[in-house]
Amino acid sequence: MEASFVTSPTSMTPDTSFSAFERFFREHYPAVVRIACGVVGDPQAAQDVAQDVFIAALRRFPEPDASQHASAWVRVAAAHAGLNAIRGERRRGHRQQQCGIEVASAGPEEAMLDQESRAEVRQALRRLPRRSAVVLVLRHSGLSYAEVAEAMNVNVGHVGTMLRRAESALRKELNDATRP
Amino acid sequence: MRHVPDGVLRRLLDEPLAVPDGARRHMEACGRCRSSSAVVADDAATVSRLLSAPQPDLDAGRAWAQMQRRLADPVLAQHPPIRISRRPGWRVLNASVSTGAVVTAGLALTGVAAAATLTTVFAPTHVKTVPVNTGDLRAVVSLLGAGVAPARGGLLPATGSQQLPFGTLRWTSAGHGRQVSSIAEASALTHLAFAAPATLPTGVGQISAIYAQPMVTATVLISRNASPSVSGTSLAVTGGPAMLVRYGGQAGGTSLTTLGILTMRRPVATSTGATTAQLENFVLSRPGIPADLVRQIKLLGNLTSVLPVPVPQGAASEQVRIGAWPGVLITADSGAASAVIWESQDGLVHVVAGLLDSKDILNVARQLG
Repeated sequence: MEASFVTSPTSMTPDTSFSAFERFFREHYPAVVRIACGVVGDPQAAQDVAQDVFIAALRRFPEPDASQHASAWVRVAAAHAGLNAIRGERRRGHRQQQCGIEVASAGPEEAMLDQESRAEVRQALRRLPRRSAVVLVLRHSGLSYAEVAEAMNVNVGHVGTMLRRAESALRKELNDATRP
Repeated sequence: MRHVPDGVLRRLLDEPLAVPDGARRHMEACGRCRSSSAVVADDAATVSRLLSAPQPDLDAGRAWAQMQRRLADPVLAQHPPIRISRRPGWRVLNASVSTGAVVTAGLALTGVAAAATLTTVFAPTHVKTVPVNTGDLRAVVSLLGAGVAPARGGLLPATGSQQLPFGTLRWTSAGHGRQVSSIAEASALTHLAFAAPATLPTGVGQISAIYAQPMVTATVLISRNASPSVSGTSLAVTGGPAMLVRYGGQAGGTSLTTLGILTMRRPVATSTGATTAQLENFVLSRPGIPADLVRQIKLLGNLTSVLPVPVPQGAASEQVRIGAWPGVLITADSGAASAVIWESQDGLVHVVAGLLDSKDILNVARQLG
């Protein structure tokens, strides 16, 4: 079952909420981009995803300080929005070439992944059950187990199990995809 | 003992101090579990490499301006629907937006189920100051009854319990906090990084001691005869791990601490029943809590996301920024000692404090932020 939060231009939040929301935005924007980047693999696309997430969050949590769920929501929404974005998308290579944003120099591990294998990973991620993909993305973007548990609304004791199953499933997907 | 489940083996890789000692001991003695652990570790390392992505140099200010431009344009303000697979918790959250009363009633009717659900009631994202005086501190101590008796050496025992006026406190940690011989050892124990500031004010001296504290988990079980809104609630608070690096020198033949840098994982609390607001109201309505302290805490807003920093009488405080993060600067009346506290995006709380004026302490803090 899925819930969708579709923009309605008429439900614009009053300007009075902007200072509180701006603080929230500045605080959580890096984490949201990092999570989205873990899915879409492209910094510019990740920032586009983050913009969508925060616009949705502004309508959902116009006063984020008053909500106990806003920070968890934007994190899990970043993972879902990223997964939605890669659904069927095959234009990533083109977009990466056109990406004008400054990107930190790649580390040695990152350099091992060419764009083709990145695309395979994104496709495998897309084929996983959604919750498995989300737990992978949240944890591997640097969230602690407690933060993953909060974002996914699960007991922290279950995160290790979910993560283990998801990692195993992702490797299997990739092995199946590359098997002749 | 049963073999260690895969989920525990997986967490052992990332947060070893969060795994019970018994599981670690079993793994050390069990070839089968060690073999499973190697497979789990290999999968984890491979997936970590596969999911690594280039990290952009972010400009949150520019991104905020861009978002405002989008919001100003009804066409640009459109965004694709964000579809989130529903889980019971999110379903409650979603429903509460439009039908809060119905949900509340539903939760009341399904109290048993609700009690089995863990809710995060405290996961601070930023710090705020709370002025306190000695009367406030006495009131907080009395709230805990006789207080928690420290073990020898002034440190808490790794596990223990304490009867409180409104319930029972139990705590456990993966070991004692202890002095270690190097930053590398502290990092290995706590999984926290420490990059020493490149330049220090004159007279600060060298690193004189390093301490590592494993994560501590404390559980408060509120008694059944407490307020109905919180009775029977179990509140679990995790704090740490933490690393403290102390600088100092010799003055008049005795050692003097000039600067301390504390890095710790933010505390997080989960509740099996009561919400943040219910717990806050319960604590603040306890007898003896000064009305002014209650007012100051209320001014903090939503306590779920705020880490309160007590500011003693006579000290001054102001808001500062350390890198991209909001923090607070506290300066002693004399100006001879000061501290900066902030939380960074990775859920780490940083405290830099010492016998330095505010300019020097900020200079040190900003090298870390």
